[in-house]
Amino acid sequence: MPASPTSRAKGATRASESLAGLIARLADNKYFLGRRYAEWCSSAPTLESSVAAAAMAQDELGHARALYPVLKTLLPGSALEADPETRSAWVRFSMLDRDFAGWPDFIAANFLLDTALSIVFEAAQTSTFEPLAGRSRKVLQEERNHWLHGEGWVRRLARDDTAARAALLASLRATWDEVLCWFGPAGKSDPLAAEGVLDATADELRARFLARVAPLITTAKLAMPVAATARGGWRLTRSLPWDRWDTATWRLREEGAGDVE
Amino acid sequence: MNYRDEPESDTPAASTTAARIQPDRIWLVLARRGYDEPLKQVGTIEADDPDLASVYARSIYDEFAWVEMVIVPRETMVTVIAS
Repeated sequence: MPASPTSRAKGATRASESLAGLIARLADNKYFLGRRYAEWCSSAPTLESSVAAAAMAQDELGHARALYPVLKTLLPGSALEADPETRSAWVRFSMLDRDFAGWPDFIAANFLLDTALSIVFEAAQTSTFEPLAGRSRKVLQEERNHWLHGEGWVRRLARDDTAARAALLASLRATWDEVLCWFGPAGKSDPLAAEGVLDATADELRARFLARVAPLITTAKLAMPVAATARGGWRLTRSLPWDRWDTATWRLREEGAGDVE
Repeated sequence: MNYRDEPESDTPAASTTAARIQPDRIWLVLARRGYDEPLKQVGTIEADDPDLASVYARSIYDEFAWVEMVIVPRETMVTVIAS
């Protein structure tokens, strides 16, 4: 049976809200990733990595600046919420709420959060929403160096059986569940994929993310809840905490936070 | 755990930690601005692997729109005439 005009209108509204939500969380995470990277411009472990942190901060803030005007077109009545100077309803990873506690946090964000964002931009390169498609292609040109930086430092910190390796592992574990949930709830109903905004569902994006980060996690023998499958893919060895997932803030509630009325 | 090299670097423990994550290779960075020019050394960087070294070379020596940039591990140089 063909969809009625009412159900089509509801579907269009839902897709529009999902699109605005997607742009908001991409922009906010880029903005705060840039700010957190910038805090390490003069205090990274080496002069070279300090300069790289500055360059990556510039890139991330530039990506955010390119995305907020798109958000403004999607939220015509909420100009204040589409400007990072006046915005208050941030949608960002918990890890970006405050300063990184140390260099391992920087690398965990670089390796996991930045890569998760890139996975979504890759899925948006042929988006039906052209303002996102064009920006995604530009963003990805600059993100290759970010990946190399994160990958190189994960390899470096994991190499030694030292406090550095333990600290890296703790930082990776602290954000692992949230970054995997961040691609969106599991299941076939995915308005962004259905509308062609992204070329993959949340589950497919999660699989692409695992395919990107899991090989290094495995070769570095970092004890994370992911394992290779017999068919050459990757699977999580522990289920994700969907009972704590908050679709309004697009992040995990703190453990125990949802138990109190 | 904090790997910032300040201000904790005054303590022996912090110095040891910082030393552990210092890179162990030096790379020469060579670049040229035009195809009619030879590659010339523009500086050096310290990094453990070629991927990180490439990232660092790009971000540090970005003062010109180079047409070519290469990095070479310093230990591969062979002295022909010693100074």
